[in-house]
Amino acid sequence: MADVRIAGLQKYYGAVHALKGIDLHVGEGEFAIFVGPSGCGKSTLLRTIAGLEQLDGGTIAIGGQIVNDMRPRDRNIAMVFQNYALYPYLTVYDNVAFGLRARKVVEPEIKRRVDEAAAMLGIGPLLQRYPRQLSGGQRQRVAIGRAIVRQAQLFLFDEPLSNLDAKLRDEMRGEIKRLHREIATTMIYVTHDQVEAMTLADKIVLLRDGRIEQLGAPLDLFERPATGFVAGFLGSPSINLIPARLVARGNGAAIALATGETLALPPGRTEALAGKAERQVILGIRPQHISRAIGGKMPSGVARVSAKADLIQPTGTRTFVTSHVGGVAVTVELGAHDVGAQGSAVDYAVDLNRSILIDPETDKVL
Amino acid sequence: MNTRPALAQRISVASDRGFKYLMIAPAILILLLVGIFPLVYSLVVSFQNITMTEVDTSFAGALNYVQLFKDSRLWESLLHTALITMVALPLELVFGFLLAQLFLERFPGRQIFVALLVLPTVISPIVAGATWRLMFDVRFGPIGQILSFFAGEPVNILWTVNPSFVYPAIVVCEVWQWTPFMFLLLLAALSNVDQSQLEAAEIDGASYWRVLRQIVIPAITPVIAVAVLIRGLDLVRIFDIIWALTEGGPGSMTETISLYAYVIGFVQFDTSYTAAVAFLVIVILTAIVTIALRRMEMVR
Amino acid sequence: MSFGYSRRRGGGRLLLRYVLASAVTVIFLFPVYWLFMISFKTADEIYHVPPVWYPSQLQLGSYLVLFRDGDVLAILNSFIVAGVSSLLAMIFGTFCAYSLARFRTGGEHLAMWIISQRMIPPIAIVFPIFLIYVHFGWVDTYFGLILLYTAFNLPYVIWMMRGYIADIPLELEESALVDGCTRWQTLWKVVFPMARSGLMATAVFTFVFAWNDFIFALILTRTEVITFPVQLTHYFGGQSNFWSKIAAMSVLGTLPIFVAVTIMQRYLVRGISLGAVKG
Repeated sequence: MADVRIAGLQKYYGAVHALKGIDLHVGEGEFAIFVGPSGCGKSTLLRTIAGLEQLDGGTIAIGGQIVNDMRPRDRNIAMVFQNYALYPYLTVYDNVAFGLRARKVVEPEIKRRVDEAAAMLGIGPLLQRYPRQLSGGQRQRVAIGRAIVRQAQLFLFDEPLSNLDAKLRDEMRGEIKRLHREIATTMIYVTHDQVEAMTLADKIVLLRDGRIEQLGAPLDLFERPATGFVAGFLGSPSINLIPARLVARGNGAAIALATGETLALPPGRTEALAGKAERQVILGIRPQHISRAIGGKMPSGVARVSAKADLIQPTGTRTFVTSHVGGVAVTVELGAHDVGAQGSAVDYAVDLNRSILIDPETDKVL
Repeated sequence: MNTRPALAQRISVASDRGFKYLMIAPAILILLLVGIFPLVYSLVVSFQNITMTEVDTSFAGALNYVQLFKDSRLWESLLHTALITMVALPLELVFGFLLAQLFLERFPGRQIFVALLVLPTVISPIVAGATWRLMFDVRFGPIGQILSFFAGEPVNILWTVNPSFVYPAIVVCEVWQWTPFMFLLLLAALSNVDQSQLEAAEIDGASYWRVLRQIVIPAITPVIAVAVLIRGLDLVRIFDIIWALTEGGPGSMTETISLYAYVIGFVQFDTSYTAAVAFLVIVILTAIVTIALRRMEMVR
Repeated sequence: MSFGYSRRRGGGRLLLRYVLASAVTVIFLFPVYWLFMISFKTADEIYHVPPVWYPSQLQLGSYLVLFRDGDVLAILNSFIVAGVSSLLAMIFGTFCAYSLARFRTGGEHLAMWIISQRMIPPIAIVFPIFLIYVHFGWVDTYFGLILLYTAFNLPYVIWMMRGYIADIPLELEESALVDGCTRWQTLWKVVFPMARSGLMATAVFTFVFAWNDFIFALILTRTEVITFPVQLTHYFGGQSNFWSKIAAMSVLGTLPIFVAVTIMQRYLVRGISLGAVKG
């Protein structure tokens, strides 16, 4: 087991500046997830840690030792690749044993470790088969098994679940979480799927355009995003972003929508915004924080907005309704039977206590 | 991240740099030794005046290159080469395409037919020439016999000697050997044409010719270009088949550029002049390849 | 006719297709048939007017003559020269191809230069090579011919293997590197096993090219290492040919090729199109 400490990491691909100064610490036994949109540099960062890419500046230390100029094989890491990277000409057993043989581990020890890993992953009966005879989920298990037997100090996962269908992905996600609990090795995991990031991570590292946008515990990022980008990336369906104007209202502040409605902000938020009246903001509100308005009186910080149910998408457990609020399409997550026919009028209760306000120029959360 | 960066930048350790050059070193060395060195050598020789009787290594200026323009046998041999290429190449292409059409649809036993049809292409050209030498034999060969049968009277043609028939004989042999090459490549290309495009055209009620012109031909054009380039280059340096069939005769009537270079180099031992001819050939071929590659880039 | 694998298929159309396919195949294979049949005929049958279409029995006399006179040594020479030069070209070429494919050594320019080496006509380089060989005493030696064929086939091997190696998923090699392999071990444990069929196909075609060559052998051999195509031309006569010898030698020089290519059928298109068409 080892921690990973990255300082001032720079990486170029020709003229493209892929990583623009990454500072990061992943603690011993921690499960860190690099997440972000395509091209944000998350895979590059992982591959640089693995030694498959050369870095152009800064340092990477694994277990306190700087590994900048170390070959991948000397870094004592194990890696699971997106396409599993199983050797088609070797049996499952030989695939799992591959790394041990390369390191000249004796055969009885190899057998012991392979059997142990096979038992842990439930691939014992498959050991004599070839990769082409396996299903996608089974291949994934073999790839993980190959990493486990190495007993490396650091595990790297490069989008390991992206080639699986939705059902299998949920299953394997649980499996990987269980695995981390059992072997407790430091793990770094790359994904573009925010659900994987939220469910698996001890620490999420959200990258954007070669920089770390925000890092922290999953719920921290979800509830207290530093920027509109973070708010938009996490959560499904994604957060509603409504252009608005900050206005003074008595002692407090309120938000004026483009369509004329004014929503009073809860008292707790107003001090922070004092003196910023009349500036343009973006109101961020998650679909889960808008509900049907029931009764005439709204609790503090909750505003009533009338709209029309333009589009209704039931999923069985929840129903997603799209309405126009403040001139933009807003998605609302309601109970399965909370809404009537398409096109019917509906009154929403918008919980501004849970809302965020974003500066449209800097993308920072106010 | 889906964008795969350039491989060259994925090397991490300094030892890899030595590794990659170490790996290409032997091959590059051999290529330089046998590929470049002779070219330089013959470039030098072509500016000297070495003949069978005289070894004059002083600088002779453009003497040999001037002689190129006065040498009518050289230009005739280039003409012969061009003639064979211009006739044989289109024939191979058309026959190859027709054959590919015939075998495009799957039917039981198709693979066996294809495997058999390929055989002429892989035979040594000298064997192909020898085979047709026997086929064309005026007394004991089957060609005369077959023609006599259709003509209803004895046909006695000296295929490899009679000036009117030497070229047809060469072209028959050449086309026989290389049509299967075109056939194989075109069959693969036609099989790779996007089926959904063809189905869409069928639903739209497009005619056979329309589908051919607007979907099939554009789709297989890159393959046609490669096939024509490979075969064209082979035809420009044609030697073996002619050597086996006519040895350039009668006279020098079927002498191609390669045969002529052989004659002046290894029969007349006109060393310096041969070097100049060799250079001319390389210049011509370089021009053809450059033009062809440029055209092909336009096609892609 | 249609361009797709049409599912509408009348019995009559299928029959027509078989008739046409058979006719074409017979026409194309008749010369090969003729060659093989001559090699089994007696002299009387060969020199019979009108020609006889098949031998009365399979006579092996023509082959026995070749063995008795030692002419089959030419076949042996061909095997040695083509075999050793293919092996060498495969070894040097594959390593070079790996470097080009995975490290982009020399970039596109080096790759283009290498393939352009293959387009140089033999006649243009064989003459200076001959002069050099005379100087070093390499004419009519195994070494000389093997060196030349190795060099001649290198561009082909490099070009083809570069394509086959590029087809191997990079992740397999990266996984091996992370798992503890050196570059060298990765080559042996991952790249070669993955490229096995490509290696075999390329080796076969390399062998065929060297085996079939005539012009280099004509110029660079005299008596000692004469290969079968050159031996074959010794049987040509101005007025008459040694028919039985031509036929028997041709068959001996053709059968190995037929066998090799039939085994490699699946890679044929890619092999002869310089990798441009992946059958």
